[in-house]
Amino acid sequence: MSGLRAGTFPEAAVRERARVGAGAAFPALEDYGRALFGAPDAGSSGGPPGDELDAARLVPPVFVPERLEKLIDLAREPLHGDVDLGAEVGGFTSPLPVYLSAFGSTQVASADLGRAAGAQAGALGVPMVIGENVVPVNGYGRLAGGGGRSLLGRISAYAEAVPDGVGGVVVQQSTEDADAEVWNLVYSDPSARPLLDSGRLGFELKVGQGAKPGLGGLTVVSSADGDRLSEQFAVEPVFGAESGRVLRCASPGTFTEEILRQQIRLMRNNFPRARVWVKLPPGRDVAVAAAVAWEAGADAVTVDGAEGGSGWAPTSFLAGVGLPLAECLRRIAGPTGCLLASGRVWEGLRAAKCLAAGARAVGLGRAALIAVDEDPEAGLTRLVECLALELRLLISALGKYRAGALTPDDLWSPTGWTVPARTPAGTVTR
Amino acid sequence: MDTTSAADAATPRPATPLPGSPREHLSSPVTRAVLRLQHTVLDAAREHLGGAGFTELLPPIIGPVTDPGARGAKQVDVDYYGHRYKLMTSAILYKQASLTAFDRIFCIAPNVRLEPLETSSTSRHLAEFHQIDVEIAGASRDDAMAVAEGVVAHVVRRVVERSAGELEVLGRDPDAFADLLSGTPFERRTHTAAVADLHGLGHDQNPDAEIDWVGEAVLSAKSSRPFFLTDYPKGSRGFYDKENPARAGRLLNFDLLAPEGYGELCSGSEREHEYGTIIARMRETGENPAKYGWYLKMVREGIPGSAGFGIGLERLTRYIAGLESVWQASAYPKVPGVVSP
Repeated sequence: MSGLRAGTFPEAAVRERARVGAGAAFPALEDYGRALFGAPDAGSSGGPPGDELDAARLVPPVFVPERLEKLIDLAREPLHGDVDLGAEVGGFTSPLPVYLSAFGSTQVASADLGRAAGAQAGALGVPMVIGENVVPVNGYGRLAGGGGRSLLGRISAYAEAVPDGVGGVVVQQSTEDADAEVWNLVYSDPSARPLLDSGRLGFELKVGQGAKPGLGGLTVVSSADGDRLSEQFAVEPVFGAESGRVLRCASPGTFTEEILRQQIRLMRNNFPRARVWVKLPPGRDVAVAAAVAWEAGADAVTVDGAEGGSGWAPTSFLAGVGLPLAECLRRIAGPTGCLLASGRVWEGLRAAKCLAAGARAVGLGRAALIAVDEDPEAGLTRLVECLALELRLLISALGKYRAGALTPDDLWSPTGWTVPARTPAGTVTR
Repeated sequence: MDTTSAADAATPRPATPLPGSPREHLSSPVTRAVLRLQHTVLDAAREHLGGAGFTELLPPIIGPVTDPGARGAKQVDVDYYGHRYKLMTSAILYKQASLTAFDRIFCIAPNVRLEPLETSSTSRHLAEFHQIDVEIAGASRDDAMAVAEGVVAHVVRRVVERSAGELEVLGRDPDAFADLLSGTPFERRTHTAAVADLHGLGHDQNPDAEIDWVGEAVLSAKSSRPFFLTDYPKGSRGFYDKENPARAGRLLNFDLLAPEGYGELCSGSEREHEYGTIIARMRETGENPAKYGWYLKMVREGIPGSAGFGIGLERLTRYIAGLESVWQASAYPKVPGVVSP
C-alpha cells in the first residue's frame, strides 16, 4: 500500500472488498451460524429511529367510552389485568396476539434452540411456525433418524406441551423445496394426526421473507457439501477456494397474481383440514399480494418487514432492500383477512403499535431465539410474560380491553406517517 | 323425487373389518370370487381397447418424477443410485410421452400413494392400487369420455355375461346394471352444478376444490348409473389438465362417478401440451419445473395434444362386485396407514 487515504469515503469497506472479493458482499464469514442478522435497531443504539413504527407513539385519549363499558360489565374500575389478550391467529385460538415465527436457515435456528423454543411456545399456547429448512437440514425424524432436531421432534416438543384448545403448528414449505413434499409428509403422518384432528395444523406457503426480499435461501456450506448440492442449487465459490466454503443459493420462486391464487387454492384442495398461511416478503406490491391471498382463501397472511429475518443475507439487503414493516402495514390498511406481522418485535410497545396499525398478532423470531439461548427452559416464557404485561398496560392505557380493539387512532407519528382507519379486528358490523 | 338427504347419503357404510392375514383373505370365498370377477374386468378392458386400436404398454414403476401429489397424498421416495426417484403415483407423464410412439395407448398401471390417514375409513382408498390408463393423441375431452364410457359399459356387460357365478357368490344382483346397460348415454354435469346441488342439500362444498369424499358419495347415492362431472376449477387438479380457452379458470377435464354411493371411478382430461403453458401451470400448482427435466425436454421438442383418463381398477371392481370396501378388490390390500404385507 502507498499510504493513500480517503477520509470522506468508505475507504475501509473498499479495502475489504479489494482484499476479500465477492465474499465481502456478506457479513463476516466467521459469524455464519453464530450471529442473528436483520436490520439494525438504530433507535435503541442512540441513532435515528429504525422505522416509523419506532418513531410513532401510542396516544391514550382523555375520554374512554370503552372503559365505561368495561366498568359497567365489572361493576368496578377496570385495570390492566382486565385486558383480554386472546386472539384468533390464522385459524387458531391463542391466549396472546403472538406467534413464534419460522426461524432462518442458519445453523443457529435449526439446532436445539428451535426445539427449546417450540416446547415453550407450546406451553404458552401460542401458534408456532416451523421453517422450511428443517427437513432438508435435520431430517424428518423417522427412517433416517434425526431425533429432537428433526421436524417430528419439533412438532412433538410443541404438541406435548400445548394445552387443549389453543395453539397450532404451521409447517412452512417454499416452492423450490417442493421436492421434499414436507406438507404431504406431515399431512399423511400418524404423528401429526392429533394436531390435525383438533384443527391445530397449518401449512405456510413461503413466498419470501424480510431479510432478503427477492432472493431465495442463501446458506454457507462446505465445498464438499456444495458439490453434492450443486444438482439442486446454485453453488458459488464467493469466499475463495482457501476458505473451504461456498455459497449455496436457492431461487425465490416465480409468482404472479394467478400463480399465488392457484397455489393457495391447491393447498386448500389438497389439505382441506389444515389452515393455510402465506408469508410475504416486504415487496412494493405487498398490499395486492395480501388481497389476492385472502381472496383465494388464506387463513392468514404474514408480512415480514425488511427488519425481519434471522438468517444470512447480503449486507446490501440488510441495509437497504424491502419496505419497512411500518410501510407494509400502512399499505395493507384495512386488511380483509387475518394479517400477521413480524420484524424486530420483542416487547409490548412495538407489538401494540403493530396491532394498532392493522396486525392481528405479531411474530417473534430473533427475540425468541435469543430468549431460549439465554435460558432453554424458560427464557421464551419469561420474555412473553413480560411482553404480555406490557401489552395489558398499554392497551388499558388506551382505554381498551381487547387486543383486537386497537385502531390507527391510537397511533401518532412525528413524521406524519399515518395508517388509514379501518374496522378493528373482532368488531361486529351491522 | 329422491328425498335422500345429504346427511343420510353421507352416513358412512357399516365399517368393514380390516383385511385379515394374507392366508385368511386369499382363502375367503368372497376374495376368490372378487379376484375371478376382476380377471374378467381386465380381460374385457383389454378386449375392448385392443379392438379399438389401442396398444398396451407396460408403464414404468419408478422414475425421477411422477404425477404430483393430490388431496394430501405423499409420494414414496426411492434411492436410485444416489438419486431421489419416485414410485409412480400415476402414469400420466409417461402416457403423454408414449404418444410419440403410438396414437392410442393403454396401460394397466400400478400406483402407490401414501394417502392421508382419514382415507382409511372412506372404504375407497388404497395406498397401492392399479389404473386402466388410456391416452389418445389428437383427442378431445369428449373423445376421451366416450372411450371411458365404452370401457365401463363393455366391462360390465362382459361381467354380467361371463361372471354370473361370481356375482351370485357376492350377492350382487345383475339388475343393478340394467340402467347402465340400457344404452342411454351417461349423464354429464358441470362441477359448478354439482357444487350447487351439494349446497342445496346442505353440504358445505368448497367451490374452488375437488368435490370432497362425502360430497361424491352424496351425489353418487342419488344416481342409478354412472355419470360424468366436468369442468373442475383450476387449483383442484394437476398442471396437465388443460384449461378451457373459452372459460378461464375451468379445466377441460372430467370425473366419472359410479352410482349407488360408490363414488369416483375415473379421472380424465384433455391435456396441456404447450411448453410455456405447462411451465406456468406447474408454478400455479406449486411445482418446481426443475424436477421435470426429461418431461419438459420432450414437451419442448413437441408431444402430441391428447386426452385420456385412468379408471381405478379396484374401485371399478368394488362397484361391479357390490363390495363394502375397495380393499376387498385387492389380493394384497394396503389400506392407508395400516401396516400390511
